Amino acid sequence: MHAVVLLKRVPDPELPPSAFSVDPETLRAEVGRTPHVLSSFDANALEVALQLREALGSLRISALSLGPAAAEEVLRKALALTADDAWHVLGDDEDLDPGQAGAVLAAAIRRLGLPDLVLAGRQSADWEAGQVGGVVAEELGWPCLPFVSRLRPSSAGLEALQRLEGGEAVYELALPAVVTVTNDAGNGLRPARIRDVLAARARTLEVLELSALAGGALGRGPARGLLGLSVPAGRARAEFLGGASGREQALELARRLRQLGAV
Amino acid sequence: MADVLVGLWVEDGTVPALGLEVTRTAAGVAAALGGRLTALTLGAGALGASDALHLAGAAQVLRCSCPLLARSPGEAGLRALEAAAALVRPGAVLLAADGLGRDWAPRLAWRLGAVMVGEVVRWRCEAGRITFERSVYGGKAVAAFRPATESVVATLRPGAAGPGGAVPAAPAGTDAELELPLAAGAGWPVLLRREREEREGPALEEARVVVAGGRGLGGREGFASLLELARALGGAVGSSRAAVDEGWAPPSWQIGQTGKSVAPDLYVAVGISGASQHLVGCGRAKTIVAINQDPEAPIFDHAHLGLVGDYREIVPHLTAALREGRD
Repeated sequence: MHAVVLLKRVPDPELPPSAFSVDPETLRAEVGRTPHVLSSFDANALEVALQLREALGSLRISALSLGPAAAEEVLRKALALTADDAWHVLGDDEDLDPGQAGAVLAAAIRRLGLPDLVLAGRQSADWEAGQVGGVVAEELGWPCLPFVSRLRPSSAGLEALQRLEGGEAVYELALPAVVTVTNDAGNGLRPARIRDVLAARARTLEVLELSALAGGALGRGPARGLLGLSVPAGRARAEFLGGASGREQALELARRLRQLGAV
Repeated sequence: MADVLVGLWVEDGTVPALGLEVTRTAAGVAAALGGRLTALTLGAGALGASDALHLAGAAQVLRCSCPLLARSPGEAGLRALEAAAALVRPGAVLLAADGLGRDWAPRLAWRLGAVMVGEVVRWRCEAGRITFERSVYGGKAVAAFRPATESVVATLRPGAAGPGGAVPAAPAGTDAELELPLAAGAGWPVLLRREREEREGPALEEARVVVAGGRGLGGREGFASLLELARALGGAVGSSRAAVDEGWAPPSWQIGQTGKSVAPDLYVAVGISGASQHLVGCGRAKTIVAINQDPEAPIFDHAHLGLVGDYREIVPHLTAALREGRD
């Protein structure tokens, strides 16, 4: 069985808002010098693939990323976590809309050999569009099951645990299919072993040019119509309640809450 | 002039609160575009929901209660929405930003050649074109999109705001069953079972008071004292994403950009550092109280009242003081 995991390199979402600003001319985030990481739900997707490989006994895992040269970092990370091969669609993806990015990724997936399963994070940590998984499914003509946190082998193919806000659901999933992955307590990405990190540095990545893959997808230009990107004004800092002990603070808070009519 | 289509999952004959809210918003969008609103209800409870939808502004209600919806809600619902869109030819399709809405929207947009904007918190309309605002970069920035395509698909978060103005109800609208030549597609995912979480007290989204815990609680046990506090306040317990990832709280408690969005009168954040993606989910609370050991935690830049200290000492005393006051 063969799975492709879609990975995106993004500015570290844990960075405080003070480290974040926007260029009002280009409508891009100014994140040049900030640390970048593998987008968090994509990390969950990679972990789901690794766990599925363990349950199946064998699974070819291909890592696929669309982005500039630096996107190589997330592919090497996947190789260090024992992905079998890594594919880099090289190009500036910042101004692509999610429909274009999905079409490009689907073309790359066809190029690397149609897999049985595509895994993608439910949304990226930068633009958070939440569309790429669905668009890839449509481009490939496959079903899509979103918000999966666990996959395990079953007689019909795979059994998928879907995590929704109101509870969870279990699906029987025939292949081929696209799943998008959400976080739960069981799919945090494992750390790589030092030995594998070193080995991954020496690996060769398969590079595909964005311009060659895009075909008609880029010709029409982004249709999303980005009008503005701004940092919301911060609120005033909290009023701190004093007190010599936790008990005094608690009593003061209880008094203030009653005053506010909040209780 | 363009019509608007809203798609709603209706399980037991009543439209969920977010579904009604989306319908009212969609009626406002339809009025702004000079068109009519059609509501498509999907699911076993589709019959019987019409009156509420007309009152919320739907001129036409289409029903689809095809049994395949229960088997493969994502795929069958998508097929039904596609069929309804072929009838209505909407300029905008609006869906709730919940599990199914987020599932359908990107794929429906692809099929309609439309642009999709998700997690919308504000909309406006100028010269027949809609502008949608949403937060991006984990709540660190707000983006505005005005899609250039003839049709758009959007998912709306709870509390999504428009220009306002009363929208006339359409109590005399028409109803029709949407006849779907629906056959199961090859390879559709099949729903085997669903587990709804039983929870004590009010639902998180509807609670007037929410007490939420994060990584600073240091362990699962911390949530026991938050449950006590929530009980004393008649509220519900929520959590940050970090606490869910640690396995201390179930995913259904998660509040934030990829969790629930709440708007209580009082939000008590305990041991939550205040990542932007969390604040997106609780920013509509009237009063935010933060309890955290770190005086530099970003949550204090968003809270109204702040307590710097160990929640293990503060929370039990607070619970006791609030109980006393009630007796």
